[in-house]
Amino acid sequence: MIPERPVEPGRKKALTFTLLVHLALAGVLFLGVQWKRSEPDAMQVELWSPVPVKPTRVEPPPPPPPQVKPEPKPEPPPPPIEVPKKPEIVVKEEKKPEPKKVEPPKPDPKPAPKVDPFKEMLERENRERQVATEQNRLAALAEKEQQAAAARRGLESYAAKIRGKVRGNIVLPPSIAGNPEAVFDVTQLPTGEVLAVRLKRSSGNAALDAAIERALLKSSPLPKPDDPSLFQRVLEIRYRPFEE
Amino acid sequence: MNVTQDLSILHLILEASAVVQAVMALLVVVSIMSWYYIFMKWFAVRQAREKTEGFERDFWSGGDLNVLFQGAAADRHHSGSMERIFASGFREFTKLRGQKNLDSKDVVDGSRRAMRATYQREMDALEAHLAFLASVGSVSPYVGLFGTVWGIMHAFRGLANVGQATLASVAPGIAEALVATAIGLFAAIPAVLAYNRFSHEIDRLATRYESFMEEFSNILQRQMR
Repeated sequence: MIPERPVEPGRKKALTFTLLVHLALAGVLFLGVQWKRSEPDAMQVELWSPVPVKPTRVEPPPPPPPQVKPEPKPEPPPPPIEVPKKPEIVVKEEKKPEPKKVEPPKPDPKPAPKVDPFKEMLERENRERQVATEQNRLAALAEKEQQAAAARRGLESYAAKIRGKVRGNIVLPPSIAGNPEAVFDVTQLPTGEVLAVRLKRSSGNAALDAAIERALLKSSPLPKPDDPSLFQRVLEIRYRPFEE
Repeated sequence: MNVTQDLSILHLILEASAVVQAVMALLVVVSIMSWYYIFMKWFAVRQAREKTEGFERDFWSGGDLNVLFQGAAADRHHSGSMERIFASGFREFTKLRGQKNLDSKDVVDGSRRAMRATYQREMDALEAHLAFLASVGSVSPYVGLFGTVWGIMHAFRGLANVGQATLASVAPGIAEALVATAIGLFAAIPAVLAYNRFSHEIDRLATRYESFMEEFSNILQRQMR
């Protein structure tokens, strides 16, 4: 004899609960997981245009064309000295002028400074070349200087960029005496992401140090230098809370 | 594949390939069923425990066995498992005691067999659908994984047609595919938890029923003398 089974309890209730659970799940999924591809937020763009450095290298003058210079013509013979006029002081006794004595310089066919035209040309060329190399040397020097200046300027603008970004993120503690400088070593990735911030020299104000450190971390990623060669993995950042 | 689409869940489900959609639908059905059984079992086990406690209280309070039996037989639809075990044992006992040529051992054995039969039937009823929960818990992650693998294969096949392989061109497909795994896990986790919990509680109930059967046999044996 099989005793009849009592009705299983709560069939409808179970069904209702099941539906509720699934509706809740679906709701959480649909509302909670909106994988919308959001446009990236407005980016803060810092425009920094370092003064373009114009290379002012002086082109060496082209070597003088080996054109044949016109031969310096032999100077025309000086006009024969005229027979001297009557001397103003006439000495009576020597009445006789001495025209004979004053020999008119013979018109020599060759010019007096006996210059070899070829030699002269060579010399001139030499001189020009010397001037050119000198100029070149100066130009190279100037260029190097300019490059160094550009690098310095780039570094400066890089530092200024970083400083500007940090300045935008810092929340200064209320009381700061003077304008103390803190030095931090910041390790960054090539993307500018800040890996570690280490206090190298305190500003003397622990709250300020902490604020700067927070601001540095918040400034991740740090701006990148215009010239990628200026990138350093470990940056030494000197920071003063106020502008000079 | 449009890469600029929004990745809302609805999009992901509707744009998935047919196999993935079938897997998801299957998993949703399985999840609904498993939750239904979870609630059913929950109520059933709770009710069985409450009724067992109530009957044990009544039984050990020293009432008359005949009165208890009358109550159990009259209200069969609302009696608990233990009450039914008791009723079948006691019914068999009263029947066998009327016969002259049986000694007390046979009478007690007969009533114990009757109780055991009822006990088996009760346990069977309590354990019904537990196996379903167990299989859902162990299999539906794999089913979801299958859907995911299929979807990812699909996504990569789509990638072959694109000249430039970017993450953006596979990401929607993979996200789609992963929804299948998510649904599988949604189905599996509660099923595993419920299975473990219910099997533990049913084990405890079974122990209680068995010890009750032994004790009740002893009582019947004492009544024979």
